[in-house]
Amino acid sequence: MVRYNNLVEALEAAPGERPFVTAWVNEDEQETVTFADFRRRARLQAGVLGASGVHSGDRVIIIMPQGIPAMTVFVGAMKLGAVPAFIAYPNDKVEPSKYRFGVAGVTANLNAKVVAIDEAFPDEMLEYVALGANTKLLRAGEGKSTSEEEEFRQTTNEGDGVAFIQHSAGTTGLQKGVALTHSAVLRQLEHLAEALKIDSTTDRIYSWLPLYHDMGLIACFMLPMAYHIPLVMQSPLDWVIHPETMLQVISEHKCTLAWLPNFAFQFVPRRTRLNRRAQYDLSSVRALINCSEPVRTSSIQEFQNAFAAIGLKAGALQSSYAMAENVFAVTQSAIDRLSGPSQIWADGRQFRNSHRIVRVAEGSTGSVCFTSSGPLLPNHEIRIVADSGVPLGEGSAGEILIKSDCLFNGYYNRADLTAKAIVDGWYHTGDLGFFAGDELYVVGRKKDLIIVGGENLYPQDIEEVAASHSAVHDGRVVAMGLYNPDLGTEEIVIVAEVESEGLLANAAEIEREIRGKVTAALGVSAGTIFLKPPKWIVKSTAGKPARSATFEKLQKEHPELNVE
Amino acid sequence: MTDEAKQMIEYILKRIRKPTLVIDEDTPLVSSGLVDSMALGEVMLTLEDLTNTRIPPGAVKPKDMDTVAKMFATAQRVGKPRK
Repeated sequence: MVRYNNLVEALEAAPGERPFVTAWVNEDEQETVTFADFRRRARLQAGVLGASGVHSGDRVIIIMPQGIPAMTVFVGAMKLGAVPAFIAYPNDKVEPSKYRFGVAGVTANLNAKVVAIDEAFPDEMLEYVALGANTKLLRAGEGKSTSEEEEFRQTTNEGDGVAFIQHSAGTTGLQKGVALTHSAVLRQLEHLAEALKIDSTTDRIYSWLPLYHDMGLIACFMLPMAYHIPLVMQSPLDWVIHPETMLQVISEHKCTLAWLPNFAFQFVPRRTRLNRRAQYDLSSVRALINCSEPVRTSSIQEFQNAFAAIGLKAGALQSSYAMAENVFAVTQSAIDRLSGPSQIWADGRQFRNSHRIVRVAEGSTGSVCFTSSGPLLPNHEIRIVADSGVPLGEGSAGEILIKSDCLFNGYYNRADLTAKAIVDGWYHTGDLGFFAGDELYVVGRKKDLIIVGGENLYPQDIEEVAASHSAVHDGRVVAMGLYNPDLGTEEIVIVAEVESEGLLANAAEIEREIRGKVTAALGVSAGTIFLKPPKWIVKSTAGKPARSATFEKLQKEHPELNVE
Repeated sequence: MTDEAKQMIEYILKRIRKPTLVIDEDTPLVSSGLVDSMALGEVMLTLEDLTNTRIPPGAVKPKDMDTVAKMFATAQRVGKPRK
């Protein structure tokens, strides 16, 4: 890889005639721009932003649907030396008041100069992006005029300047802005390209991943942009309604690489009719990388079994451990290994109670299976530590600490959070994992663990049981541990949304039944169960219940819970 | 209510594991959170089967699937006969 000073320079070096982004809607509707087209459109957007008073160092927030216009505004901002950040586009289900809370939180923290929205941004949502006195609202992304194109002076930041901000997962109002320099991003891309053995003349990336998440932004926008790889992209919403289109796009465009969160490895096969599978061809795929959720062996297996008959190669399903704070990937499984990522079977009880990894035979009773996220990328170090901070050996799971040459410098404007997250150069991920051989296995989140009488419990397990009650809205349960000083240990607290408000009249009975289910399934008793009306639980940007924000809300409504 | 609409309601109740819930053709499903976006993919397959159409990707947004009545109207509007 030629060393570039910044990401814009890497884009400028791309062969102009090569296709860059194909925005795929369906077989009859798709738009492709070449690298030259994209550069021209990005210049135009730089002109538009510049005309609105955006200068080097200003923050530009982009709230636009997934697509080429949003991407050109992002690069246009970088061309001016400004610092762009994507945030999620409002969807039909977001309550305007909640959306406002999220946008206001982000814009206030970034003190953005401009919030760029698309031409079709719903008018009724406009009042909810009302911003501070210094922030301008700008409709961008389109425009054919070339007059503005000439009016800006390219002042892209050099290596150590901030390239952009990506927001780490969290509830909308509490997202942390991860500021990343051009150098850090370019180093990450170089490691990634090496680990994936990228060949820009033959590779082609497929993505439905949102650009406001690291997988979508780094793996499926910055990587193809800097390494000159064609990208075929569809909107996350179109994909989730028609999951099968992933197979269609890969077949039509002979894509070779894609990243997917774990759930998609079950979601796609289960929503593709058996009699329609044969029309697709996955033989072009070099790697489908399972990333951003703990990797489940059964999910990978399900995908492999479903699509081996249509050309999916053995070993094409890979894994990676990634986070916004490290730009993206920390590990990547060995891409040429035919057997795919390694697996370890361990004693379940020893793992839950003492975080020890005691290997047992495959499929033994009471065992748990972990799938590797692969070896570390070059210039990456890892430490597994106990709660006390003491480093642990290979046989134990603990918090994952990382140090690398692409680690972020800090959360934007949040020195307080940065100081907690980076200690002596080590980033404390809050994830739990263990190291075996030279590979990392990620097993869960540190802060979510509930410990009841010395018995460790994962809230996900309790939530699954509670959610199976017919009065509880699908998936809308949060379980957490709350210290009970009378007992000297944590109690399980469950918050569950009922299907409709009317059901709260039967609260006592429902609570009783949920409690019975939890005891029956996990052998522990739930302390307090709070039944709440629909939409009470706070959701993260990914649409999942957000435990810590929900807990804060619960504490406000029930001050008796504030015992510590 | 058509037989297809009845079948769709039956399917949705089964899918969301709420067999005792009462919904009709005009009950909001997506906006009320009864059917989440993850479940829409399956509802879409069922709609295509019941109407013997293929609904092109990109032509439908979650709000077009908010009620059973809207689903069938959407299929009529954008669905293509199956080959």
